[in-house]
Amino acid sequence: MTTTTTTGSPLLATAPGRAGLRQGILSEWTKLRSVRSTWIALLVIVVAGIGLSALISNVEAGRWGTLGAADRAQFDPVRFSQAGEFISQFVVGVLGALIVTSEYANGAIRTTLATLPRRTTVLAAKAVVIGAVIFVVSEVTAFASFFVGQAVLTAHGGKTLPEGSTTLTQVKSSFIPVATFSSTGAARAVFFCGIYLTLLALVAFGFGLILRHTAGAISLFVGVLLVIPLIIQILPSSISDSIEKFLPSNLGLAMIVVTTRKTDFAGVLLSPWAAAMTLAVYTVVIVAVGGWLLARRDA
Amino acid sequence: MIEAVGLSKSYGKTKAVDDLSFEVRAGLVTGFLGPNGSGKSTTMRMILGLDHPDAGTVTLGGRRYHDLHWPLREVGALLEAKAVHPGRSARLHLWSLAQTNAIPKNRVDEVLDLVGLASVAERRVGKFSLGMSQRLGIASALLGDPGVLLFDEPINGLDPEGILWVRNLLKSLAGEGRTIFVSSHLMSEMAQTATELVVIGRGTLIADTTVDDFISSNTVATTLVRSPDAGRLAGVLTSIGATVSVADDGALVVTGSTTERIGEAAHAAGIRLHELSPQQASLEEVFMDLTADAVDFHGTSGATVPR
Repeated sequence: MTTTTTTGSPLLATAPGRAGLRQGILSEWTKLRSVRSTWIALLVIVVAGIGLSALISNVEAGRWGTLGAADRAQFDPVRFSQAGEFISQFVVGVLGALIVTSEYANGAIRTTLATLPRRTTVLAAKAVVIGAVIFVVSEVTAFASFFVGQAVLTAHGGKTLPEGSTTLTQVKSSFIPVATFSSTGAARAVFFCGIYLTLLALVAFGFGLILRHTAGAISLFVGVLLVIPLIIQILPSSISDSIEKFLPSNLGLAMIVVTTRKTDFAGVLLSPWAAAMTLAVYTVVIVAVGGWLLARRDA
Repeated sequence: MIEAVGLSKSYGKTKAVDDLSFEVRAGLVTGFLGPNGSGKSTTMRMILGLDHPDAGTVTLGGRRYHDLHWPLREVGALLEAKAVHPGRSARLHLWSLAQTNAIPKNRVDEVLDLVGLASVAERRVGKFSLGMSQRLGIASALLGDPGVLLFDEPINGLDPEGILWVRNLLKSLAGEGRTIFVSSHLMSEMAQTATELVVIGRGTLIADTTVDDFISSNTVATTLVRSPDAGRLAGVLTSIGATVSVADDGALVVTGSTTERIGEAAHAAGIRLHELSPQQASLEEVFMDLTADAVDFHGTSGATVPR
């Protein structure tokens, strides 16, 4: 018969402190890094980001010769480099939902809530870990994609814009514009691409908390990003015009485009900062509702 | 020590637990017995603060679970063996639990050794058999070296060797002064593992007693008697105040008397006996009788064959 030996350092229940956020974060990070799907998903974000940046920049640079002056004015070298965002938004959505719904799927959520009885601590730990991981990977990807995209444009004969100029002002430019971080809005757009993905991951996390079901949370997330915009478009433009700019996908676009595209987007997009703040408010509300339900409901 | 007072919990219109009060003392193995669906798991979840009771309280050493500063160091629980991400290794699963309560890493290896999973520590949990998963669940319960341990149906899926191992583990844990509360729907298993019993049916308390008392107070002493002259013997036994019924094979089932008195009476009347044996109702029968009204889903006995 095996005996239960106690540890060399006794695990005193009366030790100072309590199981809190720090312990929760360490545990959530261990859980996240110890499943293969996390690494596959993060790899998809990096590959999609850099790969699509190279691909789209290449395609758009190839079309330069066929573009008229108006189209050339809207040539957005930053936006093209962030094209991978379209795919990555769904990947971060899945990761954000799974950090909570996977535990509901197999019942491990009960273990989690028993190890950390304060549910707000569990909520915060999961949000911090998924938010931080997505933020770091998305930002690294966004910046790497930016440089790859500009390198592709340069290879097509693109030239760096004069310092401080916006891409929009290059109406008469005869060369393919290449952005640097001193180009107006470029650094903001790239940084906001990572912010956009991080906020989306937290939105999906909130959906996961509310629905407690992987397929449900991901369906809702995809619905919000893809289906609702389609429905809104069917509405009369008098209604849709005032709603469209507040859709998460358009908030993301507003955060990432550099050209103001007055002709295309007049009144359609919010300013980048207003868009970021709006999306942040959505995120806080959704996660707060999820957290309230987590604290209130039986596990 | 675990103390439940007036615990009640409904899910919609279903009353899962109804005004349940009991005490689980330290240093003993207390069995938590009830048919499937009788509210055992709900009670376990309320002890751990996972489900909120509609009424009543449950405390551990006088404190609610929610108020424990380092819960894993005070209470270990095995609720569902398969409640683990299948893609995670056993070691990292335990390590992620240990981190929540600042439990040192070497303790993970200790409990892996203790439950005999050290050799498969790096293997993904999804590949584990149910028996291995139960062992992993027990390891996670022991992680914080807690004074209170809750096990919900810990022998499910274990082979006979594993069952014996759990039984001895529970006894030795209790011997170390810990409070052990272990649920099962199998009376026979509890009789071999537990000394104390909390029996529930349909969410209400049926008995809170020791295993021995539970058996003796719920069984009627009966004696099986065989005789070539059964008919005459039945008359004699009735005359000394015993109650006699006849079994299918012609043996007499006697209650309200002892083997000694039956033997003496037969001898006095000159009746030969071929068998005289005291009968003990099996624990399973006692349990079945006691909870018969408290089982939610009765099976039908035998299918009706259309003629």
